[in-house]
Amino acid sequence: MLRRVLTVAAVIITALLLQSTIFAQIKLLGVRPELLYLVTIVIAILEGPQEGAVVGFAGGMMQDFLLNQPKGITALTLTLLGYAVGMARQYIVSPSPLLPTFLVAAGTAAGIAFYEVVSFLLGQLDQPLSYSVKVIVLTALYNAVLTPIFYPLLRRLFEGSRPQRVVRF
Amino acid sequence: MVVLVSVSLAVITLDYRQGQSGPLAGFGRTARAAMAPLQEAVTTVTRPIGSFFSGLAHLPSLAEENQRLKDELAAANAQSETTAFVQQQYRDLLALVGLRESLDPTSVPAVVIANGVSNFEWTVTIDKGSADGIAPNMPVVAGTALSPLLVGIVVETTEHSADVQLMLDRDWSAAAKLGTSGEAGEVQGQGDADLRMSLVTPGTEIAGNEAVFTLAYQASGRPGLYPAGLLIGQVSRTVPYDNSIEEFVDVRPAVDFATLQFVLVLQTRAGEVAP
Repeated sequence: MLRRVLTVAAVIITALLLQSTIFAQIKLLGVRPELLYLVTIVIAILEGPQEGAVVGFAGGMMQDFLLNQPKGITALTLTLLGYAVGMARQYIVSPSPLLPTFLVAAGTAAGIAFYEVVSFLLGQLDQPLSYSVKVIVLTALYNAVLTPIFYPLLRRLFEGSRPQRVVRF
Repeated sequence: MVVLVSVSLAVITLDYRQGQSGPLAGFGRTARAAMAPLQEAVTTVTRPIGSFFSGLAHLPSLAEENQRLKDELAAANAQSETTAFVQQQYRDLLALVGLRESLDPTSVPAVVIANGVSNFEWTVTIDKGSADGIAPNMPVVAGTALSPLLVGIVVETTEHSADVQLMLDRDWSAAAKLGTSGEAGEVQGQGDADLRMSLVTPGTEIAGNEAVFTLAYQASGRPGLYPAGLLIGQVSRTVPYDNSIEEFVDVRPAVDFATLQFVLVLQTRAGEVAP
């Protein structure tokens, strides 16, 4: 269990570090990827809705504390996103290797749109609609491009940290 | 799931009510303080790699840019001779009337160690904080203390790091003046697009590439936070807008934020800058 918690913490911190350093320089038409959205969606696909929601909440709260905006909006967004993707995954039966990429793209777009709506309702979003749409489309695309790199890494990490079942006879 | 959503909503509500003075803001400062050394380490390792790839991407334009920079250097050298003479005259005049510069803030050099994590905030993190004498509302510049280019303003500090709101941020604004025509207005951030200067008197003749400098007036209800005379950028275009009350111009920032590495924090105190 402890190993699992440490793995999640390490993944969240690494994602935030990458996003604020390397990926802040490598932008796609002025937009950077949202790695915590990617991580939350991938974990929800691999581990289900409960774990997706918990990781989304932890990662979102951590990101919120690094922002100069009201805390909790990213946590709320990623909690709902992790749960929704985990639930949706249970009903999708597809052998396609592109399924994670598609889910990451769709989930990122939906999550960013939700974040923008909540921020707008709280009076914290002062962006033109064109920029908001651009961020939704490009972050979804960027995260989708990164999925083939991050998905196998995260799968290996989380399978390795999964508690071993002990069967006693 | 219900618990997590409830906690998130409670955090949003608490933070919204408490602002920067509540315990949640304290958690934020702790998180930033913990992340800063990690961000600094990652940036130290990855910056040369990023510069290499950035250089490769810009290779075709480098030769042309090199020639252009040589021409600019020659022109600047010629101009500096004239400028030195004018500066000497200026100093003599100041001494003559018994004036001295009303603002000569000390500055703290700092290194940019990280960028903001959101697509909706334009901030950077620097490696100096309250322990180095940095406080919120201090202006941040690039270049040198003698010819400063405005970068933004300190919005949050921890002991050994500080968050700087870039002038690209949509919440940023400052009173400004056109260098040639002398018209005053207010400049606001527009995200990745050029800055937008408003409140310019209609009919003002604005030259292309006209320089825009800070004024120490208050803007958008905030006190004057910037010393007068910091270069904000150059006029990139006049915005066509049918308005008889004010005119708008776009201003391209003088600082290249994509390659920003070293900055100076001017140790002014809010509300005490001189016009």
